[in-house]
Amino acid sequence: MSNSILHKEYTVIRFDYARAGKVSSDIKKTLSTIGIPSAVLRNISVASYESEINMIIHAYGGTITMDVFDDGRIQLIFKDDGPGIPDLEKAMTPGYSTASEEARNMGFGAGMGLPNIKRVSDEFDIKTSEEGTTLTLGFVVG
Amino acid sequence: MVNKTVVNYILDNCGHCMKCVQTCPTSALTMTDGKVVINEAKCLNCGRCMRACHYKSLQAKGSSLDAIKDYDFTVCLVPSAMIMQCSSLKEAEELFWAIKQLGFDVVEDITATEGQLMQETRRRAESGEIDTVLASTCPVTNRLIKTRYPMLLDHVLPLNYPSEVAAKQARKIWKDKGKVGIFYCSECEAKLLLAKHPYGNPQFEVDHALASVDILPLISENLGKGRLPVTLCREGLQATSPSLMTQKQTDLIADGFDKVNDVLDMEEFGIFDSFRLIHLFPCFNGCVGGHLLWGNSYVVKHNIDALTSERNKPPADWPIEDFISDAFNITEEESLSFAEKMAFFQKVNQQLDQLPGYDCSACGLQTCRIMAEEIVKGNRSLDDCHILNSMRRRNRE
Repeated sequence: MSNSILHKEYTVIRFDYARAGKVSSDIKKTLSTIGIPSAVLRNISVASYESEINMIIHAYGGTITMDVFDDGRIQLIFKDDGPGIPDLEKAMTPGYSTASEEARNMGFGAGMGLPNIKRVSDEFDIKTSEEGTTLTLGFVVG
Repeated sequence: MVNKTVVNYILDNCGHCMKCVQTCPTSALTMTDGKVVINEAKCLNCGRCMRACHYKSLQAKGSSLDAIKDYDFTVCLVPSAMIMQCSSLKEAEELFWAIKQLGFDVVEDITATEGQLMQETRRRAESGEIDTVLASTCPVTNRLIKTRYPMLLDHVLPLNYPSEVAAKQARKIWKDKGKVGIFYCSECEAKLLLAKHPYGNPQFEVDHALASVDILPLISENLGKGRLPVTLCREGLQATSPSLMTQKQTDLIADGFDKVNDVLDMEEFGIFDSFRLIHLFPCFNGCVGGHLLWGNSYVVKHNIDALTSERNKPPADWPIEDFISDAFNITEEESLSFAEKMAFFQKVNQQLDQLPGYDCSACGLQTCRIMAEEIVKGNRSLDDCHILNSMRRRNRE
């Protein structure tokens, strides 16, 4: 059984575009200070940014937690407060997007979010209902 | 990859103000025993410390012109950024003539080589061999990506510096002239490194890098006395400034050190993955803003029309293999295991909790985190923290 040796928690607020990416920046900075190999770190950066943006533009905000385990596994959990993804199968299809015009104008919502996150993650689990969506990502270092 | 610094420290001038230590983007500078020590492995040669120094204690020098007499035949290469300081073709021709009077056999512009390099960069970016190309002819950018953004290393094209390509060609052209010396008029501190001398980098084709501003007084003596016919390549001159480059929808250009870092920070998240070509200029206004040039970079970028309207030459057609260099993409082996790195990180965090966290640099180190790292490594102790010491003193009183 592996133990978490570094635990961080962040709050994400809905429509807070001004601070979009701040959590991912902190995650990236922390892991880069530890010295996580750059190939893994790139995947973590891409996945966490994409997931954080999703929480801001699609969900009602929520929390992000990061755990670094002693066996070299890194886990990110993105837990939002709803409204849930109505059709998960469609959301996992590359190019499919429900983002608002406003979000697209800001360069978000190209419809590559979830497929991209899945592509770069070693472990990918998503549970969704009207109460919210929980996305759990795992990465193996080295 | 050259792990060297062009920055020279003059202790006698130093005011011990810590500005250089605080400004370094890679924390390469420390004040140790009252002296600035530069970690060559970390130094990017961006020159920010030199510009932060009020005491002219940090300087970068080029080779001396005395070196001309060490060769049978000498070629002086002049980059676009330096030529852009001239407001007319006549002025450029007078500049070339005046440079020749310093004792060179040949003075050549490298604008056509720079133009070809720009074309080759675009061709490769659009061929899709790399998703998003991070293009730069600047050694600072390459070192920055290597030290701070290693996850983007595979976005860098394996292309050589224009001075190197031009020097290779010059060596071929003048091979029958005995011992040929190739000199380069550098537009910035960082490019002083791209030569055998004065910083001892034998892998380069250029023999000596000259600091342009330092030879300017000597050049000035002969300005206006004669002209050397010059034809320039517009594409090469365009490559010196973001405002002159032709931009497509899928291009992005960042100039200035902060902007370059901002773009690289974002690209680590894959934000610019839909872009094909990202040009990066650590100097503000591009290479015409190089700190060894004398003109005003806002103004000189408008000189391009005056320099090329009369006549113009196409980009060069040198063999592509002469452009290839994979020197920047080599990464060192990981020496520590994950467990070792994590243990170090946690020990540093424990030390960090003991420190005040003001990042005041009074101890000679840039931040409290670096101090904590040095304590863990055994190089410093908590007693070296000036804030903690004064707090302890106050508590005793």
